[in-house]
Amino acid sequence: MKKIVIKNLKYKYPLTEDLALKDISFQIDEGEFIGVIGQNGAGKSTLCQALVGLVPHFYKGAYGGKVLIDNIEVGESDINTLSTKVGIVFQNPFTQVTGSKLTVYEEIAFGLENFGLPQNEMRNRIDYSLELLDIYKFKDRNPFALSGGQMQRMAIASIIAMKPEIIVLDEPTSQLDPQGSEEVFKAIQNLCREKITVIMVEHKIEKIAKYSDRVMILSNGQLIDFDVPEKIFSRDDLEDYGVTAPAFTRICRGLKIKNKDTGLYPITIDEAYDLVVNQNE
Amino acid sequence: MKTLSLYQDRDSIIHKVDPISKLYYIGAAVLIPIILPTVSISFTCMLISILILTLGKVFKKVIPLVSFSFIILLSIIIIQGLFNKTNKTVFISLGSLTFYKEGLSYAFKICMRVINIICAFSILILTTKPSDIIEVLVRNGLSPRIGYVLSSVLQIIPQMVSTMDTIKDAQRSRGMETEGSLLMRMKAFIPLIGPVVMNSLISTRERAMALEVRGFNSKVKKSFLNEEFGYKYSIAIKITIILLLALAVIWRIIT
Repeated sequence: MKKIVIKNLKYKYPLTEDLALKDISFQIDEGEFIGVIGQNGAGKSTLCQALVGLVPHFYKGAYGGKVLIDNIEVGESDINTLSTKVGIVFQNPFTQVTGSKLTVYEEIAFGLENFGLPQNEMRNRIDYSLELLDIYKFKDRNPFALSGGQMQRMAIASIIAMKPEIIVLDEPTSQLDPQGSEEVFKAIQNLCREKITVIMVEHKIEKIAKYSDRVMILSNGQLIDFDVPEKIFSRDDLEDYGVTAPAFTRICRGLKIKNKDTGLYPITIDEAYDLVVNQNE
Repeated sequence: MKTLSLYQDRDSIIHKVDPISKLYYIGAAVLIPIILPTVSISFTCMLISILILTLGKVFKKVIPLVSFSFIILLSIIIIQGLFNKTNKTVFISLGSLTFYKEGLSYAFKICMRVINIICAFSILILTTKPSDIIEVLVRNGLSPRIGYVLSSVLQIIPQMVSTMDTIKDAQRSRGMETEGSLLMRMKAFIPLIGPVVMNSLISTRERAMALEVRGFNSKVKKSFLNEEFGYKYSIAIKITIILLLALAVIWRIIT
């Protein structure tokens, strides 16, 4: 079932001359984990905002094409309706804290209160999302007293608690240490198992290669490619779009070690190891 | 964690009283001395407020608040003691300055009322969490948007001050003089304004987006995570306060 359908999406921010998104079209299935990569200014964040309706409802500007979320057209809907379907986590965890709640537990409840959920349902969802992001031990802390990584996990928990069918994450691990990043990726992968569709903008290429079902390359507002990670990272022209392939892929490319069946380079250490061992045998 | 809240976390009977009852008390403590403008009534109200603050184990915390208004109260005493238009009876002469009984009595009454108002408001502010006050007000019809503004200000302003300190440190590390004479500090303030204002604007826009996607403008009736603040004697307190106010009005009419 197609969860997201984008047809010829074009967008230009107010008071700018160039299009931030140029005629983008793609489709995403339910439960897929999609990685979005590209250099700064490629249009990744704008695409994320278009998926949750911030473009064009929050940012005005010139908007064309169609974005369908579960057959709801974003341009004709509103952010409140869409926020029950799609959640977004932004890059900066500090600005995602509402500032009106004194504990992490209450902070996560903010969105649920706005949608009028009963208390029991709220508590169940908050407990679940706190456990999932491994921040239950911080539940009574002030949100501003958390570290950047803890705060980001709280921001993700706040969105997960709202049980959206789609989660958009715009560089959510930029403030996390390697262990924190791994935990977030694992938590998000668990969401995919529950049929939640995930779209994640990320610069940590190794993680994107490991966890994504498909990867999208954006450059200068255009969709360059959208395919399985092995195909994307085997492209010869990746660096033209400001993207570096995972380290194992680059090593294997240098050593000319390819999967003979597919003709593609490996993207993870396990795949690279298997290929090297097979070649030596 | 810094907030602008003056709330003192204590285990006391006053902390258990619901915020609406405390608001009723503030109303009565402010209105009764106005309806019955005698020194003894103002003094009694003030004593009751002090008693409640003591029961709430927060009396010491109200002293700095009263001290804060000390200069204003002192100036009222001096001006009224010297220049009140009803001044006739000399109370004391200090060199060329003569203080009159009528003026001092009037100033004393005003001071009593001011202290009484500070004490009455302190009962609410020192013994109730700001979030509880706002939640109760939103439950009773205050717009959730106004509630959000009131509650977020208490935490976001200290965060902005902290951001300003970070920017100041960054500027100082690049050689800017931020300390010294008043002129020096004023000069240092100008290059700080740009980054601080820009940073605040960007943060505000991002926070607005984050709130928007969490249903801030939802049309659905808002629910609350916590149970409504309940206090078993709440109705009795409110009825007593209303009766006292009615008595004060009747007293004023018949005397």
